[in-house]
Amino acid sequence: MRVGVFICHCGNNIAGTVEVAKVAEAARMMPGVAFATTYMYTCSEPGQEEIKEAIKREKLDRVVVAACSPRMHEVTFRRTVEKTGLNRYFFEMANIREHCSWIGEDKELNTNKAIEAIKLAVEKAKQNKPLFPAKFKINKRVLVIGGGVAGMQAALDCADGGLDVVLVEKSPSVGGMMARLDKTFPTVDCSICILGPKMVDVSQHEKINLYAYSEIEEIKGYVGNYQIKIRKKATYVDWSKCTGCGACIEKCPSRNAFDYFNFGVAPARAINIPFPQAIPKKAKIDAQFCRQFIKGKCGVCAKFCPVGAINYEMKDEIVTEDVGAIIVASGYGLIDLDKLPEYGGGRYPDVISGIQYERILNASGPTSGHIERPSDHAEPKTIVFVSCAGSRDKSIGIPYCSNFCCMYIAKQAILTKDHIPDSRSYVFYMDIRSPGKGYDEFTRRAQEEYGVQYIRGRVSRIYPKGKKMIVKGADTLLGTQVEIEADLVVLATAVTATTDARTLAEKLHISYDPHGFYVESHPKLRPVETNTSGVFLAGACQGPKDIPASVGQGSAAAAKVLSIFSKDTLESDPQIARVNTNICVGCRKCIGTCPFGAIEEQQLRDGRIIANVIETVCAGCGICNSTCPCGAIQLQHFTDNQLLAEVNALCLT
Amino acid sequence: MFIEKLKEAVRKILPEVDVVIGYRQGFDPLHATPYFLDKPEQVDQLIWNPLCVQNLCSYIPFLKGKVGVIVKGCDSRAIVQYMQEKLITRENIKVIGVPCLRVISVKKVMAAINQQTVQEVTFEGDNIIVKIPEGPKTIPSADVAPRKCATCQLATPLQYDVLAGEAIQSNKPQDTFEETKEFEKLSLEERRAYWEKEFDRCIRCYACRNACPMCICQDKCIAESRDPHWTSQRANVTEKAMFHMIHGLHLAGRCISCEECERVCPMDIPVAKIKKKISMDLKELFGYEAGMNPDDTPPMYTFKVEEATIEEHEI
Ligand SMILES: Cc1cc2nc3c(=O)[nH]c(=O)nc-3n(C[C@H](O)[C@H](O)[C@H](O)COP(=O)(O)OP(=O)(O)OC[C@H]3O[C@@H](n4cnc5c(N)ncnc54)[C@H](O)[C@@H]3O)c2cc1C
Ligand code: SF4
Ligand code: SF4
Ligand code: SF4
Ligand code: SF4
Repeated sequence: MRVGVFICHCGNNIAGTVEVAKVAEAARMMPGVAFATTYMYTCSEPGQEEIKEAIKREKLDRVVVAACSPRMHEVTFRRTVEKTGLNRYFFEMANIREHCSWIGEDKELNTNKAIEAIKLAVEKAKQNKPLFPAKFKINKRVLVIGGGVAGMQAALDCADGGLDVVLVEKSPSVGGMMARLDKTFPTVDCSICILGPKMVDVSQHEKINLYAYSEIEEIKGYVGNYQIKIRKKATYVDWSKCTGCGACIEKCPSRNAFDYFNFGVAPARAINIPFPQAIPKKAKIDAQFCRQFIKGKCGVCAKFCPVGAINYEMKDEIVTEDVGAIIVASGYGLIDLDKLPEYGGGRYPDVISGIQYERILNASGPTSGHIERPSDHAEPKTIVFVSCAGSRDKSIGIPYCSNFCCMYIAKQAILTKDHIPDSRSYVFYMDIRSPGKGYDEFTRRAQEEYGVQYIRGRVSRIYPKGKKMIVKGADTLLGTQVEIEADLVVLATAVTATTDARTLAEKLHISYDPHGFYVESHPKLRPVETNTSGVFLAGACQGPKDIPASVGQGSAAAAKVLSIFSKDTLESDPQIARVNTNICVGCRKCIGTCPFGAIEEQQLRDGRIIANVIETVCAGCGICNSTCPCGAIQLQHFTDNQLLAEVNALCLT
Repeated sequence: MFIEKLKEAVRKILPEVDVVIGYRQGFDPLHATPYFLDKPEQVDQLIWNPLCVQNLCSYIPFLKGKVGVIVKGCDSRAIVQYMQEKLITRENIKVIGVPCLRVISVKKVMAAINQQTVQEVTFEGDNIIVKIPEGPKTIPSADVAPRKCATCQLATPLQYDVLAGEAIQSNKPQDTFEETKEFEKLSLEERRAYWEKEFDRCIRCYACRNACPMCICQDKCIAESRDPHWTSQRANVTEKAMFHMIHGLHLAGRCISCEECERVCPMDIPVAKIKKKISMDLKELFGYEAGMNPDDTPPMYTFKVEEATIEEHEI
């Protein structure tokens, strides 16, 4: 065996704290190493050429590159090696940057550690076996989860690109949070006026199949071939008949249902359509408020529905769809007001959240756009906005910034002045975050043109006094205490992950951060990919972001899907588990631990039952490998013997 | 007589199965040995006494067809564990349960009689009477019972199709892992020295593994394989220790505490101690005891994103 070792300087990134020449010298002494050299930037084109030439000149049959994390460049070098005719799995990478030069300053220790890392890689490379990917056909249909602005954009772009799209929306209508907004910053154009046409496009596009009021029940399969089970929740209204006329709603005697769409600003009926522009515009019954369900008698809606669409017997229905890729655009949530007791959240009716205020401002909202406060429907004259209500507050587990509150507060303050010219708005802020295009100008306009009073400081307490809410806080710029008698207080409640974000992630096999936001494959270079191939992210499910960013990601995710679907077949990753039929004793333990259900029983001709890995389902996680007591099931490219060779190199020599 | 009841039970079951596994007398009256019978005329050879220690369940996963087996309370946990791990089809096994309050350790008796030749063995009340060349020697059974009997909760087997005799209740205190906890108080160095001394004697005969009802890999055991090559055949303590650690860990959440491993060791190495420590941890971590309920799932043989009984660390 002739191993070649290529040690990268990475400019000064590695060479700065590792003596690369010394490392090369040590590498030359390792058993099996026929050639070792250093190079300034191994990943550069001349760097790769050098590897190719050395393979030919020195007749190398294994290649080790000691450089950065394999995350980025393993594919690069595998390709380089493959071009010379070597199997790409004869390549190994030793990470002497992230694991070595970047984390220590002691040159001698770093150099020794780099030598050890290479020793492991050389031993591993010597044990490597050639592996060959299989090819399989792609099902060129895409599933989009969540019909907010990000999901709709993704769905439309995919559909326009010629793909069949399955769009699953949990709530009864598409539109997401944006459908609830009145105007949008920084242009203050009407939200539903720009969103409405997209919603209509979604419903009318022949390539888009919309499942509203539906949720993902189960996801099986792998990139190119997913089987999705979708739960269509019972609406108790036959949507094939319902015309959205609203006769049922008008007559419904249960008038105290919770209004999910309006965040409880006003009560709803047990049978309802969330908003006038809803897509689909169909009624549904909230069973927990419906008299027919609670008391067993009522039936009013059934009586008044002119088309006989009401069906109290309706059950959830499970449908299956096969797709080849998934875009997750399930959006965000907001913390409950009662998580903010110091601001009187949840206790006083005139302390409301930003999204509730958005509904009050909205012409198609419960107050028809007249600003009135919840307690006595009076028009407020003094309004206090509190930014970072929960955000950037480690004590409640939300250390991050909610991204768009500074901007929407400015928007809402401007709109308030438009609605009530003799009103005064105050904003308590920690700092104003407005880095987008035209954003800073916008917040400045709020202050300069609309006279919004910005007070830099935290609010310490909010409590009622007569009909007023007293807001006590600090003005840290003036170094004084301030006290404002407000008619209405609007809290910019912190953005959170949706309540079911984690459950959905587990079904998708994607990871989430400690707050429940989905984790992208690389924060800079792969922002809409996940580490599960075939699953992409768009919008606020990945972290708080405003509409332009969400739309951008929707399009980006669609482009990613279109790009993988531009081929007819995909190569499967051969780094999967394989069972040695001579060793397997059929104990079935691996079947129980495989998180992907990738292992089945197989009967051999002699009647023995053993395990068999379904190649296309195995994700290569290796859990079965560590389960199997006799080592019969081995993760290819990471077999026990390959890893033991590394351990032995480190511990025995 | 109890033995008559047992024989009758076996006679009744014999036509339904391909083989019945029981005990008969071994090379001397002190040794009981497994007996595989498939003809009615063999039934009279069966014996039953406190020397019938071996866990006969160990054979079941490797036998084809229908099998009848004589099972004590402690042994019955193997049946339950096989069921959990789907290693047997319960319908194919006819379990002949025998109530038992205490067995006797041959090793302990031999020690008590200074390894002399045994001519006859009888049982009287709570005593065993061993006739050796110098005359009969009466030994209280409790003094020569294996450690596991002192805390045995399963006087009646958990699983049986027929029970020879009446179901009885255990009268023993629960196992509180006192010995393990005491041992853990020793320093790391002391514990290492202890095990190095013990393992040094190991001759890697694999009797412990072969006797274990849960060691179903047998000749595919990674202690003897080159691919994967976890242990070499070198005769040093490290390699021996490695084998025992593998044995222990492969039994995590599976060991049914029958202590067969320790009973069969020709070098008197206390190998069950390792398994006991792991069983204790599994009980603490997952609230799980192997071989108690056929519907349980062994905690190490399932995949959960979050463990109900383990608090996750915040990142
Ligand atoms: C008060 C307020 C004012 C705002 N004002 C502005 C503004 O003026 N300008 C601006 O740019 N941004 C504004 N924003 C931010 C804006 O709301 C978001 O940027 C935008 O909604 C993000 O879109 P999205 O599609 O990612 O998520 P969402 O709008 O949250 O949409 C997600 C969709 O997915 C659905 N869903 C969730 N979970 C599932 C599931 N498991 N299965 C199926 N479907 C699911 C939801 O029902 C929803 O329809 C404001 C936000 C707030 C709170
Ligand atoms: S590596 Fe094993 S456990 Fe992981 S997915 Fe593949 S078969 Fe399942
Ligand atoms: S765990 Fe190993 S021995 Fe058991 S069935 Fe799976 S591959 Fe076979
Ligand atoms: S490890 Fe020992 S005590 Fe445990 S089941 Fe096996 S033989 Fe019995
Ligand atoms: S029975 Fe004893 S000597 Fe034999 S392998 Fe086991 S511990 Fe070692």
